[in-house]
Amino acid sequence: MNGGALAIDRATARLLGPAGLDEAAIARALGELAGGGADLADLYFEATSMRGWQLEGGRVTQGSFSMRQGVGARAAHRGQVSFAHSADIREGALLDTVRAVRTLERRGDAARHPQGIALDRRAAGHDLYPAIDPVKVEDATAWIAILERIDERARAQDPRIVRVDANVRATDTTVLVADAGGLLAGDVRPMTILSMVVIAEHNGQRARGQAGLGRRAGLDGFATAEIDAMVGTATRMALNNLDAMPAPIGEMPIVLGPGYPGVLFHEAVGHGLEGDHHRKHLSAFDGKVGERIAAPGVTVIDDGGIPGRLGSLGIDDEGTAPDRTVLVEDGILTGLMQDRLNAGLMNACSTGNGRRQSYAHLPMPRMTNTFLANGSADPADIIASIDRGIYATEFDGGQVDIVTGRFNFTTIEAWLVEKGKLVAPVRGATLIGVGHEALRHVSMIGNDLALDTGMATCGKQGQSLHVSVGQPTLRIDRMMVGGQAG
Amino acid sequence: MSELLTQSETAMREAAERAVELAARRGARARASVQHEGIAKTAMRGGEIETAERSGSQGLSLTVFHEGRRGSASTAGLDRPAIERVVEEAMLIAGHVQPDPDADLPPAEWLAFASSAPLLYADSPRSPKAMLEAASAMDRVATGIAAADSRLRAGESVAVATEGLWALATSDGFCRSAMRSNDSRWTVMLAQDEGGGISDFCQSQERRVDALVSAEQLVKIAAERARSALGARSIDNRRCPVLFEPRVAATLVAELAGALTGAAQHRRMSFLPDPIGRRVAAPHLALHEDPFEPLGLASGGLDSEGIAGSSRAVLRSGVVEGLFLSSYTARKLGLASTGNADGYYNLRLTSTAESGDWAAMLRMLGTGLVVTQFQGGKTDPASGNWTQAVRGLWVEGGEIAHAVTDVTLAGTMPAMLNGIRAVGQDVERMGAIRTGSILVDDMRVGGRA
Repeated sequence: MNGGALAIDRATARLLGPAGLDEAAIARALGELAGGGADLADLYFEATSMRGWQLEGGRVTQGSFSMRQGVGARAAHRGQVSFAHSADIREGALLDTVRAVRTLERRGDAARHPQGIALDRRAAGHDLYPAIDPVKVEDATAWIAILERIDERARAQDPRIVRVDANVRATDTTVLVADAGGLLAGDVRPMTILSMVVIAEHNGQRARGQAGLGRRAGLDGFATAEIDAMVGTATRMALNNLDAMPAPIGEMPIVLGPGYPGVLFHEAVGHGLEGDHHRKHLSAFDGKVGERIAAPGVTVIDDGGIPGRLGSLGIDDEGTAPDRTVLVEDGILTGLMQDRLNAGLMNACSTGNGRRQSYAHLPMPRMTNTFLANGSADPADIIASIDRGIYATEFDGGQVDIVTGRFNFTTIEAWLVEKGKLVAPVRGATLIGVGHEALRHVSMIGNDLALDTGMATCGKQGQSLHVSVGQPTLRIDRMMVGGQAG
Repeated sequence: MSELLTQSETAMREAAERAVELAARRGARARASVQHEGIAKTAMRGGEIETAERSGSQGLSLTVFHEGRRGSASTAGLDRPAIERVVEEAMLIAGHVQPDPDADLPPAEWLAFASSAPLLYADSPRSPKAMLEAASAMDRVATGIAAADSRLRAGESVAVATEGLWALATSDGFCRSAMRSNDSRWTVMLAQDEGGGISDFCQSQERRVDALVSAEQLVKIAAERARSALGARSIDNRRCPVLFEPRVAATLVAELAGALTGAAQHRRMSFLPDPIGRRVAAPHLALHEDPFEPLGLASGGLDSEGIAGSSRAVLRSGVVEGLFLSSYTARKLGLASTGNADGYYNLRLTSTAESGDWAAMLRMLGTGLVVTQFQGGKTDPASGNWTQAVRGLWVEGGEIAHAVTDVTLAGTMPAMLNGIRAVGQDVERMGAIRTGSILVDDMRVGGRA
């Protein structure tokens, strides 16, 4: 169990108590914050601690610990947002922060709340992830042993593996949101990320492989078999890349493997369906809701309520429980992702996508877990259907230009396919397309939907967040592939 | 005087010294740095404020060295209980990790106890009100330019002011501090025609307000960039010469510098392994580093270990003369620290080859691709394989023919560095890096055949 009264108690113990704050003090601060007659006013308290261990050259010689806390205060009148934040959350500093917002607003005392704002609404609890603290130092010895084992196993795979770097980072974030509508909501968000990079060298050639696992869990969320599979992925990638030939160039059919390649839908569809880009008429999808943008069978969903995923949230950073938003249904553009500010201005409801990097950042509509729904094709048949093209299984991020809808992403593991067979690994192919055109060419969708391993992050306007992406194996008949061959 | 800072330089130094002293009581040698920043930011669009922000941040980072082991911890609180907790956590970490003979404080004689430091702070108006006025001025110009051309629309105009303090203390009795300022402005313009919409922007960043590009100039450049990208189309697959505009050329210089950092070298995560004394770029190229330029965006009197950098050639006649090293990465490589624990200082790429202004560079390009924007892609740090989706201009006979989009560019960093034919006199500064446009002889362009 997490969220609800339990999370509010945890936040009170960890954040409010040490700072000498109580609910009455928050109610007073909110009253002052809303005093300019804001449509939307909220306080976001956050405490985050992080512990990490790093392996290099076969040994764990470095560790780190960090802790921070603070409060962000926001007030909005229509689209105008005033925001201030402070690392000091004692009542005096909190009131200074709130007054800084009022000064930025320049609206005088339009709506005084001398009694403060009663916090009489509570968010419901959830079971998406446990309210645990993965940062505890008692786990240190076990994590160090895991990192050393990763090094040994990676080197044992092949003598050409010459270097292994690995690290683990466990984070405990506790948040508390209070808004002028009387809502008080808390959440405890554990997160642990284990990742590795290997270098393979042979005959003067050098290549890199990477892999990782991310969970909303602690040490016990990481099974040995999964860690071994991660080591296998990183070493296989490095060795494949060592032998890789230059990627071909030109327009050709492509097959994208299951899991992380779903970043295609995050870039090509997701960002263009964030509410703020529509309110400002910036998105290439502006005015296209209800139109066909993809082939029949293409259904894309953003769902912040999948247990254990890094994109999942019991409540978003505005206290709203996340929706399951169908963005594209059978090829038709159907939905937008909203936070409270943009929903309010667009006569819509928040979909629970209001997220922020920290208390020092403003919330925006952001994705959670975004994926293409399963189809019915056998993945083997999809590869067999290609006469000449690319089969890509791993990418290293991607980008989209919201205004033009043009997206791109670069493979870190891919193969040339000829006559339905994988011929040879190819290196560094950049795939490019336009969101509302490329997806019309989706012709086969596999039945092997998978989400990524927990390493996906998303950047928007300088704010970085963890998300999930996913898809089943997929064939796109035409996509521009840019490599070095030819 | 500062309008944004809420802490004093003295308080920063005292917090750093207190952390070092508490570590010493537990038998450890230590280094502590403390930073504090105040920011005011306003974004305007269409005559309305979009966001007005006022923020303050602070933090203390401590590294302890104890019995050949080290531990690092940081906190956003500077009060005594927070500092005690950080010392406790750093010692706990040092108790768990394995020893590393290369992890220790640098010898005291390397520290910049009293060397002169460049000016990093200039007094300028930085209040939230000043930011509102600056953003409003840009927004008014943008609205005016958009009203005069039906293809244009004003995006957001943003003004940001930052003031900061930094202090460093070590067990060797070392304690120095610095005050920094930063002023930034940018504006976004959108252009639209029957072929679709496009956006572009222009940014100016300095340490003093009066050095910034004017609102008029900033908006004019952003509008021109957006307008010139209209009507873009793909080109056929081909090999051709490529001219990188200065703002994208700086990214190539950053890739070169990144491959020469200690972290990349000792992890063997560099496409230029064992580069000292080796020719890695065309023989007409040089790369100079200058930590001491007054009010330079990447200037500094010392790094976070307390070691000063030097004004030097990193690359001369295409040959690598130096790396960017901390004392830790230097020991790993059997070398001496270069005072670059925080990365490189101000860099300038120069060339002795034939050169000229932008128009002359277009003539030297002849027929080929101008790259105005990287849209995304990747450099593999281990192999140097480089691939990017780009936006740009197609040039024939030295004249711009049309805007280009939906193309990829691919090569390897080592081949590209050797293939640089000229560096333009159209020098611009992007953060730490100054370079003119870069002309590369022959690259692989992927387009819609």
